[in-house]
Amino acid sequence: MNVLKLEIGRIHIKDIQLGSETSVKDGVLCVDKEGLIAFLKQDERIKDIKLDVAKPGEKVRIIPVKDVIEPRVKVQGGINGFPGITAKQAQCGDGRTHVLYGAAIVTVGDIVGFQEGVIDMWGEGARWTPFSKTYNLTVDIRVAEGLQPHIHEETVRVAGLRAAEFVGLAGKDITPDEVLTFELGSIFAETAQYPKLPRVVYAQMNITQGLLHDTYIYGVNQANILPTLLHPNEELDGAVVSGNCVAACDKITTYQHQNNSVIYDLYAQHGKEINFLGVIMVPEHTTLAGKVRASDYTVKLATMLGADAVIVSEEGYGNPDSDLLMICKKCEKSGIKTVLITDECAGRDGMSQPLADTAAEAVAVISGGNVSHVVTLPPADKVIGNKAAISVLAGGWEGSLLEDGSLMCELNAVIGATSEIGFHNVTCRLY
Amino acid sequence: MNYLIVTNNPAVTASKANMVFVEGSAAETLITVRDLVHEGYELISHPLAASLRMLFSPFRSVILGKKLAKVDDVSAVIIEDSISKHQRHMEFRKPDSAHDEDYKMMDLILLKAALDESPNLW
Repeated sequence: MNVLKLEIGRIHIKDIQLGSETSVKDGVLCVDKEGLIAFLKQDERIKDIKLDVAKPGEKVRIIPVKDVIEPRVKVQGGINGFPGITAKQAQCGDGRTHVLYGAAIVTVGDIVGFQEGVIDMWGEGARWTPFSKTYNLTVDIRVAEGLQPHIHEETVRVAGLRAAEFVGLAGKDITPDEVLTFELGSIFAETAQYPKLPRVVYAQMNITQGLLHDTYIYGVNQANILPTLLHPNEELDGAVVSGNCVAACDKITTYQHQNNSVIYDLYAQHGKEINFLGVIMVPEHTTLAGKVRASDYTVKLATMLGADAVIVSEEGYGNPDSDLLMICKKCEKSGIKTVLITDECAGRDGMSQPLADTAAEAVAVISGGNVSHVVTLPPADKVIGNKAAISVLAGGWEGSLLEDGSLMCELNAVIGATSEIGFHNVTCRLY
Repeated sequence: MNYLIVTNNPAVTASKANMVFVEGSAAETLITVRDLVHEGYELISHPLAASLRMLFSPFRSVILGKKLAKVDDVSAVIIEDSISKHQRHMEFRKPDSAHDEDYKMMDLILLKAALDESPNLW
């Protein structure tokens, strides 16, 4: 008997436009502009909404990006929306969900003045972000004056989720182009079926350190809970939402949670090379005591599950490197093999020590790319969002704004450029 | 209170006791933390932020615990690694003074979140 069975019906989107109804016809997504604005402005904390679209290949720059969300609708089982945040509590990961595949909601708006996070839809910048290939509905959100920063962040986060819910409804009665099925039984059942395959757990670290550095599971701020076991389908079906918006290159957007590449890949190998047991969601604390507690607890859960190996992915950079290596060291000491997925701050030439911490046990490490790599972004014909945010990129160092208006910046400014769950464009090669 | 906050953020000094105020940069704040760790203070919060943008912050606050009889090895390694990491990041960067007020606010908010994590243990 399966614990959860999820069908993801992908409706392939080939174009996006603003209009007077929300619908999908022949792969063209039309969004009811005034209807969506009115829907979002039901939240009295929102003063103004600007909607626009950005398509692959257009000389358009979106900045500063807060989050990216995939528009979806629940057509069977569970409840529509994001349980615990935009909808009542319900089980995610069971039943059928339709996805407007190829479309994305991109929320834009400053919460603090130093925000960056750029998506270029064309040229050099487009090479580095996976969201240059999606048909993007940009939702630029201005909030009422005087809101506290926490409330401001929450307002913008929830507006993006509600927009995804509103747009996703267009896929309710459409026959999907393809249907993916994800099912995983109890650990006992799967192990009985695949007794000889190595048992693998995925430990997903998420930033959980306060304002602009938070992650939510069913609406619960993960900072306040111990590491917890998740069925992989729950994350693929909207249980996990990003509240993190200052680490552009390696933040895990809500879209990337909904399409977690590590989960996809572990599912693909389940029953073939491995026995995929589930996901441990690991908070990243600021205090060393919190890091010790979370890493001890993660290893204990993996041991209780009988894991032979743990894949660990990080989010962010700096103090989370300590958590990553604590988990690695403790797992290896317990006889559990580890593979780490991270990104590198290896200097502009890529030759420096890549992490803020090291461990002899970290022998299998996958890099999502070098955050310090320098790219040159030519001027855009159109900027969606806040043009002044471009000066945040230009203001970092000498010579970053070239005579022709091009910007030199580090990859860390580009959304999703060095994803630590592998949902991005760069790849690793062995020399 | 069993903790000490080392900070160069004026917004923190305005609201908290048990303070070592550093009149200087974020880098100098980390150096002060290192010196105190070598005197025996243990690290309570990690000296680095969790996001690249906050690594560029001109303001930094770090929480230290009790002064121990001898140097805490783990704390010493972490602060040394953090200083070298911070230096590498800032090599090519100019101080971002245009957003001082926002950086002060964020540093204070993240410090408060750290203080809320498990204050009874300190």
